Amino acid sequence: MARIIFIQNIIGGLETGSLYALAALGVVLIYRVSDVTNFAQGEMAMFSTFVTFTIWTYSRAAGLPYPYLIAFIGALIFSAIFGYSIERVFIRPTAESSLLGKMIVTFGLILIVNGSAAAIFGTDSYYMQRAIGGTMIIGNLVVRPHSFFVIFLALVIMAVLFYMIRNTMFGVAIRATAQDRETARLMGVNTTKVTAFTWIMATIMGAIAGLMIAPATNVSTGMMADVHLKSFIAAVLGGFTSFIGPVIGGLIIGIMDNLVGYYISTNWQTVIVYGILILILIFKPYGLFGSRPQKKV
Amino acid sequence: MLDSLTDSHPYTKYIVGTLIFMLMILIDLQLNIFASRTINLFIRVVYFSIMALGFNMLLGFAGQISLGHAAYMGLGAYLTAYFSNFMGWNFLLILLLSGLIPMVLGIALGLIALRMERLYLAIATLGLGVTGQMIFQEWRAFTRGFSGIRLDRPEIFGFAFNNSRHFLLLATAILLLVIILTYNFSRSRTGRALSAMRDSEYASQSLGVSLFKYKLLAFAASSFYVGIAGSLYAYAERFVHPSTWGVELSLDMLAMVVIGGLASIGGSIVGAAFLVLVPRITAATPLLAEITNMNYILTGLAMILVIKYLPLGIYNTIDVKLIQPYLIGRSSKEFRYQDLEKQEEG
Repeated sequence: MARIIFIQNIIGGLETGSLYALAALGVVLIYRVSDVTNFAQGEMAMFSTFVTFTIWTYSRAAGLPYPYLIAFIGALIFSAIFGYSIERVFIRPTAESSLLGKMIVTFGLILIVNGSAAAIFGTDSYYMQRAIGGTMIIGNLVVRPHSFFVIFLALVIMAVLFYMIRNTMFGVAIRATAQDRETARLMGVNTTKVTAFTWIMATIMGAIAGLMIAPATNVSTGMMADVHLKSFIAAVLGGFTSFIGPVIGGLIIGIMDNLVGYYISTNWQTVIVYGILILILIFKPYGLFGSRPQKKV
Repeated sequence: MLDSLTDSHPYTKYIVGTLIFMLMILIDLQLNIFASRTINLFIRVVYFSIMALGFNMLLGFAGQISLGHAAYMGLGAYLTAYFSNFMGWNFLLILLLSGLIPMVLGIALGLIALRMERLYLAIATLGLGVTGQMIFQEWRAFTRGFSGIRLDRPEIFGFAFNNSRHFLLLATAILLLVIILTYNFSRSRTGRALSAMRDSEYASQSLGVSLFKYKLLAFAASSFYVGIAGSLYAYAERFVHPSTWGVELSLDMLAMVVIGGLASIGGSIVGAAFLVLVPRITAATPLLAEITNMNYILTGLAMILVIKYLPLGIYNTIDVKLIQPYLIGRSSKEFRYQDLEKQEEG
């Protein structure tokens, strides 16, 4: 029995962990390409989830077939537009600011997006259905198909992303921009387009993470606070300098979170997990897979 | 007369300003012109100014970032509540301790900061801030969790500051001390070393600035200030609740410092006033008041607009464009803002 509970915790950890990984990957993608740390990633995901929720509710009320699928597609379309508009309206005009300035712009975005969400959708919290409902019994194991769906979806998205970054021309452009923006531009890479594209990708990934976590947290303005923070910590744990680091960081945090919550204490769960992370960071300040950035004096 | 005053010491403008403000309140004590909610608003501006000054020490003067300072302020507030309720100690002792204990923890944070780059530090401190808030929620013996703690206004030598105007005077006096301290600190050898560290860690290191010493110092000083601000918060609001000390408050600190002006005393105060007044103004404006959380949206917009158009901050821009040329035209030789523009890439 103990072993089954352990396995269930691991599966739960992989489920939330892959969502952290997805969100973290979005943050790292933007960071690598445009030097902006998007602290508003979580809030943007929350906003997208609210829109998805609204589409879901309306299409259910209208009696359309497969309301969840409609909402999912709506989420993809909306978050793409949303990510692009944020980049166009707030990020591009401030691209010449200092590193700290760019960071602060995203803090301002947190306030704007969160405030707008509360103004448009209200401050109540709503129930959102799982992608696949019900439970499944495998041997003695009780699992939700939703968990596997989430893990599968995250894996597919990451596989597509990694394939694209590694093997397509556009991926080369992304890597070139990440390495050296100026030189990439001199070589004919349209860095503006690359930046806009990474914002769209990252927002979509955030929106999917938000949609998948929504059944557990309900849809509310504060729903992403925890996921967002943990995805950031995942990015830090894995290191901002690699694309695979945040994925592994996310999985580690998801699993650790579940295990600590189950075996030690739910109340102190977050405190313990952060404590361990701070300890790791003291010994590996650039993350587990990160390398020390070269700096010009 | 004002000329001769501002000429003698550049920071006289702060002292004169604060004294005029105190005089105004003293007169009001007799006449009761201000509504009591206006007085409460002033009190908020005062303790938030101290908080913003503390945060500015860190971000503006030393170039370090922390998104967990709300937890230090909360600690200061809880210590104050605890000491005054259960120990019954003297106000000044409590105030000092509420600054010193967060300061010790601030040094611990500084030790962590020594190993991390700015971005990693921002995220690690974000985590610490959340952890702090969790501890406030869960450690019921000390904080009483979600029930919160009540406490009374302070008492000095038998004189109770129950009248809000009296308390405002007391808080303003403390703010004045903090301003004088900050000003002298920023102009001392230490303060200049901090600014050097902010502008380039490598360059300052090569000139013999010990990063170890000055990073710890920056964190120590800022957590001391923030702890004191927390103590004043507790006395002012007479109620401490864990929900106050979230990431939102840390973001507010950042917003105050950015909007008001980095590395500037006046900027911290202007920023604090901005963040206190915006919710009030939106609540009083007919159309805006309808929209939930309009003040969030406005504050966020203000941050982005300031970064885009006034990278020095509101106060610093006014200072550079209007006040400084005026003073330079007279006799003061102070002009230090051009280097602020080149700040960054630390």
